[in-house]
Amino acid sequence: MNTDRRDSLRKRLGALIAIAGLAMGSAATAATELTVWHAYRGDEKAAFEKVVGQYNAKQKDVVVRTLAVPYDAYADKITASVPRGKGPDVFIFAQDRLGGWVEAGQTIEPIDFFIEDKTVNQLVPGMMAAMTYRDTVYGLPLNFKSIAMIYNTALVKAPPKTTAELVKLAKGMTDASTGRFGLAYEYSNFFFHAALMNAFGGQVFAPGPTPVIDSPQNIAAVKTMLKWYKQDGILPADPSSTLIASLFNDGKAPIVFSGPWFLGEVQDKVKYAIAPLPTVTEAGGKPMRPWLTIEGVYISAASTKKEQAYKFGEYLLSPEAAIVLALEGGQLPTNKAVYADPRVLKNPTLQGFRKQLDTAVPMPNYAEMTLMWSPVTTAMNKIVKGSATPEAALKEAQDTMKGNIAKLRKGR
Amino acid sequence: MSELAGTVRSKPQATEDTPARRVRRFLLQPAALGLLFGLLAAILLGRWFTTQATDQVTAQTQGRMAILEASALAESVGALAAANPDDPSPLQTALAAWAERSPGADTIRVVRLDGARLLASTRPTDLQGELPRRLVKEEKWLFDLGQELRAAIDTNRAEGIFRKAQIDVARPGQGRIRVTVPYLIEGTVSGIIVHDRPLPPASTGSAKSTLWPLLIAVPVVAFWLIALLFERAAPRSPRAQRWILFGVALALFAGGWLAFANRAMDSLDAGAIAGSTEVSRAYQELRTRVPAEAMAEGGAANAWDVDLFQRPRNLLAADGTVDAKAASQALERVREPLGRSLAGNLVLGVVILGFFGLGAARKLRETLSEFRYAYAYVSPAMFGMLILVFFPFAYGIALSFTGQTIFNTNQPLTELFVGLQNYKDILGDFDVARHTAEGWVINYQNFYWTLFITICWTVANVAIGVTLGMILALALNTPGLRFKAVYRVLLILPWAIPNYITALIWKALFHQQFGAINQAIAMFGGEPVAWFDGVFTSFITGLATNGWLSFPFMMVVILGGLQSISADMYEAATVEGATRSQQFWRITLPLLKPTLVPAVILSVVWTFNMFNVIYLVSGGAPAGANEILITKAYKIAFEEYRYAYSAAYSTVIFLILLVYGVFQTRMTRATEAVNT
Repeated sequence: MNTDRRDSLRKRLGALIAIAGLAMGSAATAATELTVWHAYRGDEKAAFEKVVGQYNAKQKDVVVRTLAVPYDAYADKITASVPRGKGPDVFIFAQDRLGGWVEAGQTIEPIDFFIEDKTVNQLVPGMMAAMTYRDTVYGLPLNFKSIAMIYNTALVKAPPKTTAELVKLAKGMTDASTGRFGLAYEYSNFFFHAALMNAFGGQVFAPGPTPVIDSPQNIAAVKTMLKWYKQDGILPADPSSTLIASLFNDGKAPIVFSGPWFLGEVQDKVKYAIAPLPTVTEAGGKPMRPWLTIEGVYISAASTKKEQAYKFGEYLLSPEAAIVLALEGGQLPTNKAVYADPRVLKNPTLQGFRKQLDTAVPMPNYAEMTLMWSPVTTAMNKIVKGSATPEAALKEAQDTMKGNIAKLRKGR
Repeated sequence: MSELAGTVRSKPQATEDTPARRVRRFLLQPAALGLLFGLLAAILLGRWFTTQATDQVTAQTQGRMAILEASALAESVGALAAANPDDPSPLQTALAAWAERSPGADTIRVVRLDGARLLASTRPTDLQGELPRRLVKEEKWLFDLGQELRAAIDTNRAEGIFRKAQIDVARPGQGRIRVTVPYLIEGTVSGIIVHDRPLPPASTGSAKSTLWPLLIAVPVVAFWLIALLFERAAPRSPRAQRWILFGVALALFAGGWLAFANRAMDSLDAGAIAGSTEVSRAYQELRTRVPAEAMAEGGAANAWDVDLFQRPRNLLAADGTVDAKAASQALERVREPLGRSLAGNLVLGVVILGFFGLGAARKLRETLSEFRYAYAYVSPAMFGMLILVFFPFAYGIALSFTGQTIFNTNQPLTELFVGLQNYKDILGDFDVARHTAEGWVINYQNFYWTLFITICWTVANVAIGVTLGMILALALNTPGLRFKAVYRVLLILPWAIPNYITALIWKALFHQQFGAINQAIAMFGGEPVAWFDGVFTSFITGLATNGWLSFPFMMVVILGGLQSISADMYEAATVEGATRSQQFWRITLPLLKPTLVPAVILSVVWTFNMFNVIYLVSGGAPAGANEILITKAYKIAFEEYRYAYSAAYSTVIFLILLVYGVFQTRMTRATEAVNT
């Protein structure tokens, strides 16, 4: 362990010196400098910086510099700086703010013109939709994330394939008096609930950015969730992420629906495995389809080096870069070649989340998405607390959202 | 300092009454200076406004003419492209013919979005190569522009409103204008026409006026003459003299301004009328170019004279004649803002005139020189305050009069002005409670409900803080208490821990299944409470947390107050046979008042805006019922993205606290008066 750490330290130092040397060398030849903003930390940051180092070593035209921006301030920083001609050349962010930035204008450069078929063809399917807004492509998809089923292998021998199996299994392991629950996930958080909603064919927007929160499918999905919580009693009350992590770590919740970010909170003593979310018996055997968040590489509209920036983005998508992001950063790159690599094939975590991708759907990237969270969260809380029926609560959310959207959009 | 001031003041008197000085004093008398500066400000600013307005009229005329031609082009290109989907050569011929008839060095490009292809072009460099071809890297902006316009049309159609411009007008260089119009095939956008041409020779109505120095000089000279006459006439009191001269200056100023404003309006009118005639003439010429079959069917409105949203402007009839009524209405729309700006100038000029004429300027100068060291010392702090406090504050207030949301942050605030609409929406919405079949339903989103909760929250918290603090302070003040220091440290701890950590701990304590409070209730055989489900129980969670956070402050303050009360009082009271409770009400409480009142006032303001506790503990649960004003303002801005509305909300909060602040100052003064 100790020698390992020292080794990695030495490697990192070496890389640093190499980068520094390179930077100095390139400064002499006055290469163009590209600034990249990201919000990575820990392993993800190290892997990303390694990839950038590789790129800097590979070519002489540009020197890419990275800046890690704290996540909380990230989106606002972009919104404030880029339209005023400041900020990075390239930035990385999930697709959920894309619509807002496009609507606000002068933030993200459209890249339709640059994109070639071979770039798109090397990716796992379904990625470009998340980067497309009003039929224009604005970003290169870098990594994807979605929730999947994470289960404690000591308690669950075979992961349930259907929700009927899941409920049966969970009921057997639930004992509310000792605080044990068969299943734990943030069911009242709409991001997690969306997997169930999509299984029923529900949607938040259809067609275009028109909200359909109170559709019959959405109501059916909410009722199924409510049945699990109220009738079957397999879910804990007030599920927060910290509560779920502590339940899972204490062996009090054998099955959890969550994403890769959850694994960092799992203690070493707990052995886990990852499987796709089950198919929903209540929805006629359709699979749960969680929302995908896809990190896009965007070119700043204010950048003066757009072409070089795009080239760098292309490199980030290449197998050479993606494999580093996967193996060292623990991320799920969009390049499909990565998933044929023997080292990735041996990694059960990456494989588990990759399998989930087959049923996942990209989270909508409409600007109106940002308006969805508040009313929908209110509705979900009311439903779970029983202070409103699913029909009434979703209707209210729908009305609030429609009203808020109308207030935002103003004709001229 | 005062000695210094004395010398400054007495200086003019010491060196008075040479003839040259008297003349100078006459010429630079306050009213004359006021008239000069007032006129200068009003007329120079007025000239700037007028130039802006006439330039705008000119630009609009030029834009209209350019759009007219580009729309005509788009229509015929659309027809040609639809008729010959695979062969772009007729298109090329048509473009060449069109460019030949144009008077200037026009270039026209037709870009098809599908495959990013340049279908036809009249640029010499393009003609040398092969056409059609794929756009090259340098032409990416053409493609992006096309995509943007296509998306704009799709968006406007889908939302049923006109939010995004469907025509792009740009000025690529000096004296040139570039209009980009999408062309449609079967109702969908197929590509764009980019028409880059010299600016149409729109006349500006009248040449720029050079008479303005006269408009300033004549009133000032007239004023001197009149003042001279008055000085020669019967002597008056200096006060009457000053007012009469100020009146004269005012009248002269008004005259000068009126003459200027009239001329400005006339030149604007002339420009607008000439403009619409020119657009009409341009249209007549265009009609001769476009083949008859490609013409739009005749209607009341002209289909080519459109705005940026491709809506007919209704200023030209279908046959190209100027619609007089619509034109005069359009003229009114330009006149009105200019009229308003000029009226603003009048007010500004009068203010300047008054400032000098009535002696305020002299007084200011004297104060500045008298206290120049004081002003020099505070100026860095004032500068800092200006940037860090007053600017954001003023910006917030300005924002509250606009309609800014996440969708229009790229537009300047002036274009989003909505007046008092946000305030009307906040304060004028009385939909607090509704009667339905299931009984009364409270609208938790309403401002007055939130205000009610905020007041309940503030009152309850301060009451709890003071009561708890008082009890603990009295306990700690017991003479001969052992380990007093230890208790005191322990009791101050809640105050020392960062309050968001405390808030998160309390939130966990109230968890329905795993919280310590419910577990304690269950231990004694009670039913666990779902704390965040009910309006009242959820309110209690916030109250408990904030009570915990606020009692140490009160305790410390009261303890300080208690220690300053002399023990003799209690001794005397005991001798007289007063009970403990009598001692408390008659001695302790009245003597604590001077310390307690400021502490309560402070803690009211803190609690009123106690964002952390509400946001972190209950988050306003259930359904926003327990939101206080400040958390609500936050949610409007950062969850609903209605920045301007949130700014108005914050301004209302500020006004409430301002009223409270005035009340507070009165209260403090009152207690001080009692005390001394």
